Amino acid sequence: MNEHELEKLAQRLGARAAERLDVERTAHAVVTRLREAPRVSVATRVSMQPAWLKVAATVVLLLAAGAVTRALWRSQGLASAGGEPAAAGLSDLSTDQLQQLLEIVDKPTDEAAPAYPAEASLDDLTAHQLRELLRSLEG
Amino acid sequence: MPHAEPVAAVPTDAALIAAWQGGDEPAAAELVRRHARALARFLASAGAPDADLDDLVQETFIRAFRGVGRFRGQCRFRTWLLTIGGNVLKDAARRARRTKVVALPDELRATDGDPHERAVAGEAEGRLREGLGRLSRMQREVFLLRAQHGLEYEEIAAALGTSPGAARVHYHHAVKRLKEYVA
Repeated sequence: MNEHELEKLAQRLGARAAERLDVERTAHAVVTRLREAPRVSVATRVSMQPAWLKVAATVVLLLAAGAVTRALWRSQGLASAGGEPAAAGLSDLSTDQLQQLLEIVDKPTDEAAPAYPAEASLDDLTAHQLRELLRSLEG
Repeated sequence: MPHAEPVAAVPTDAALIAAWQGGDEPAAAELVRRHARALARFLASAGAPDADLDDLVQETFIRAFRGVGRFRGQCRFRTWLLTIGGNVLKDAARRARRTKVVALPDELRATDGDPHERAVAGEAEGRLREGLGRLSRMQREVFLLRAQHGLEYEEIAAALGTSPGAARVHYHHAVKRLKEYVA
């Protein structure tokens, strides 16, 4: 079969099915459907989504809410409970350890190190900065 | 001297689309009348089951009318409509795979004409239909738009978002593979 014959065959394909189509009825049905539901609103689109999509969206929302809550809880926990124990822990340090700590505080900062003010005393440090210093002392 | 009757100008598709956008329902109905059979032929050739053909045609027109604001005249309205039909058919096939509906072959579904003649004619068509089903979607649509609807490569390319050269290549690949099936 050559290309021309193939094209002829393709032109016949589907012709019987198309002839059986009731065009007037189709036109009427299309216009009626357009009239009944002219535009699908966003709310309707959401309600038309498959169930699995809704479940997935709910899971994502719950995970996001959980992550936000956890972040808030951690930051509040650090602010309220992190300062005093760190500061109180200083009294347990030996003289050598305190000396090392002061050296670190006085050392000029670089990009990789935490940004402590060069002239800051221990009292000026925040609970978070003190905690980092203690962690660096512990090795 | 006989007086010639004035011939009423036939509105173009563009005029009917504009009228529909202005709320003219009969304009939408006229567009359906003009293009429904061509669309049905395209869908049936691309694998739409007979039983679903009416629904698929309706769905294609509904999508087209709702998205007509995106039609920029890059190709003819009918060509644009056929590409929407391809999307509708793809979605329907995906749903059908989930429900596992078994379609009857054409020879059993068709009820008109001489059974022997229908069987002989249906054999070659059936092989072509089967071959079309094994092509990629792009090859199938390019082939049908070119061979069945006589479109130029430029228009096919504009409708399918490809280049005329690529459309030509798809067409020749399709012809080569279909010849193997139908021969």
